[in-house]
Amino acid sequence: MLVSATSPKQLPPIVELRGVDFCYGTHLALHNIHLSAERNRVTALIGPSGCGKSTLLRCVNRMNERLTGARVSQGQVFVKGKNIHDADVDLTQLRKQVGMVFQKSNPFPKSIYDNVAYGLKIHGITAKDILDDAVERALRSAVLWHELKDRLNQNALRLSGGEQQRLCIARAIATNPDVLLMDEPCSALDPIATLQIEELMQQLAHDYTVIFVTHNMQQAVRVSDYTAFLHLGKLIEFGDTEELFSTPKQKLTESYLRGTFS
Amino acid sequence: MIPTPIHPKLDPANPFVGHQSRNQIRESFVRWILRIGTLIIVSVTAAIILHIAAKGAPVALSREWPFVNVAFLTELPSTLHVIQDHQGHIIETDVNGADAIKMQLGANLREEKTISYSGGGILGPIVGTAMLVIVSVGVALLLGVASAIYLSEYASHGKFIEMVRLAILNLAGVPSVVFGLFGLGAFVLTAPVFTNTPLDRAIFTIPLGFTTLSFQGWDTCVLSGGFTLAFVILPVIITASEQCLQAVPLEFRETSMALGATRWQTIWRAVLPFATPGILTSSILGIARAAGETAPIMFTAALAFKDKLPWQKDLVALPADASWFAHWEQSIQRFLAIFTESVQALPYHIYTLAARIPQNEYSERAQYGSVFVFLILVASLAATSIWMRRRLRAKYKW
Repeated sequence: MLVSATSPKQLPPIVELRGVDFCYGTHLALHNIHLSAERNRVTALIGPSGCGKSTLLRCVNRMNERLTGARVSQGQVFVKGKNIHDADVDLTQLRKQVGMVFQKSNPFPKSIYDNVAYGLKIHGITAKDILDDAVERALRSAVLWHELKDRLNQNALRLSGGEQQRLCIARAIATNPDVLLMDEPCSALDPIATLQIEELMQQLAHDYTVIFVTHNMQQAVRVSDYTAFLHLGKLIEFGDTEELFSTPKQKLTESYLRGTFS
Repeated sequence: MIPTPIHPKLDPANPFVGHQSRNQIRESFVRWILRIGTLIIVSVTAAIILHIAAKGAPVALSREWPFVNVAFLTELPSTLHVIQDHQGHIIETDVNGADAIKMQLGANLREEKTISYSGGGILGPIVGTAMLVIVSVGVALLLGVASAIYLSEYASHGKFIEMVRLAILNLAGVPSVVFGLFGLGAFVLTAPVFTNTPLDRAIFTIPLGFTTLSFQGWDTCVLSGGFTLAFVILPVIITASEQCLQAVPLEFRETSMALGATRWQTIWRAVLPFATPGILTSSILGIARAAGETAPIMFTAALAFKDKLPWQKDLVALPADASWFAHWEQSIQRFLAIFTESVQALPYHIYTLAARIPQNEYSERAQYGSVFVFLILVASLAATSIWMRRRLRAKYKW
């Protein structure tokens, strides 16, 4: 089943999956996925539990490959026009370009400053003034600077859940990636914190390309420009969010959106 | 049709059958068995501690300020001379005091007894045990943490790793005297040293030009004993370190990797800092174990008696016009002697006092005093460990 975004493409897609199969050992988790994410847009991945949306997300920064036997068995993944499975790809540099935020907010039990500066230090930046600048920029982008600027040395674990998750976003964007992957970023948060993160995601799209997984269809409607619906490892439908939700082309999409199954 | 009779126990009409049902009796029986078992353990522990305290505290402590028998903690062990006169006075003294007193008493001397190792204090054994513990814990931490990191972070599951784990488990079950013999063979008699004059007993030698690497062993010394003890506590350290590493949430590793860190960067920055407190805490228990072992040091490091501290080695006196280099060389020698001299150790000292010399009230006194001090030292290490764990748990909660 071949589906692709219907909108006219002025820019080449920044993330592109071409016929990707992904397996965990012998279990085929994704089958023949064609998907592209446009620059500075928010793309949502929806679908019932176990449909492979998290696996798909983790294909983009090759986080799946930490597990033994997990691999892309067919197809290619392109980020910024480069096949990320090429032999000359340095995984650390790929992940510098493709940041990730996880479901559970998981700041390190270090100071706020050290959390945000972590990625920069990993990539060999030690100059204090550069670090200071980058930390401030990242915290401003995550709308945390005014709240936290006076207590950068406080342990990050003392922040509230929503603040922790925004700190994780700040940490991910501190290395200035092009793509930001988010794996159910709001599922552990209360409604107010969720709203803040959703607003933040739309703001972030000005500077980054956001791809996120959600189990909440309404969240996809609120936040995303494009939505991909996956079911049992297959991409059923992909297109403009408004179109997909108002006039789904596939029967399966329609019944999922109607709540026939979940 | 005959209705199946309902078993009286399953009678649905009577749900609240008497409170002395057989199940309840069995329940309280089991509870009492378990309670008594626990009580036995507690009372045996209490009996041991009270026994040691009752007999040892009068030796190690004193009634006057500073409430500690300072001489007992700061003097080296020596031979005790007990002199008795005809009036029944008993004088305890060391070898130097004995002659003067005998002279003073003259014909009034009734009896003189000498009891080996029971005079003076136990500074030598305390220092020796401390040196052995420092060396063994240092070596065991280096090796143990390295292998724990490998096992927990790098190794993939497989036959080889299963075997490694089995080997570690087996290492924990090896009798300590076997470690002693291993240490004798490996460290005392074969370990490599740099020397210009290799001994004949060297298994083989590698000439390096400026010096020779000779596999002739380190002799009985702190280094040999410390390395042997390191292998005794290695299983404890590896297991504890691995648990501490596993306790660090997987998300820390994922986050770090997702930010572009290599595996080692992840371990160094996002795993080890949070596992270190736990590793150090549990290594304190390794210290207690290393301090308490007797068999591994019997052949490798410990002496029954030594009248010098490790750094009081006899060195050739330097001439008055010796160069600064000669002085420097000698101070290096003096420092190295800390590790290359054999020492007395507390557990071995206790063994000597209790089993190697004729028993009497004086040797018993020295023996219980040593045991009491030993127990206090080990107990305070364990207490530090518990206290540290509590504090760190509160600090590193995630």
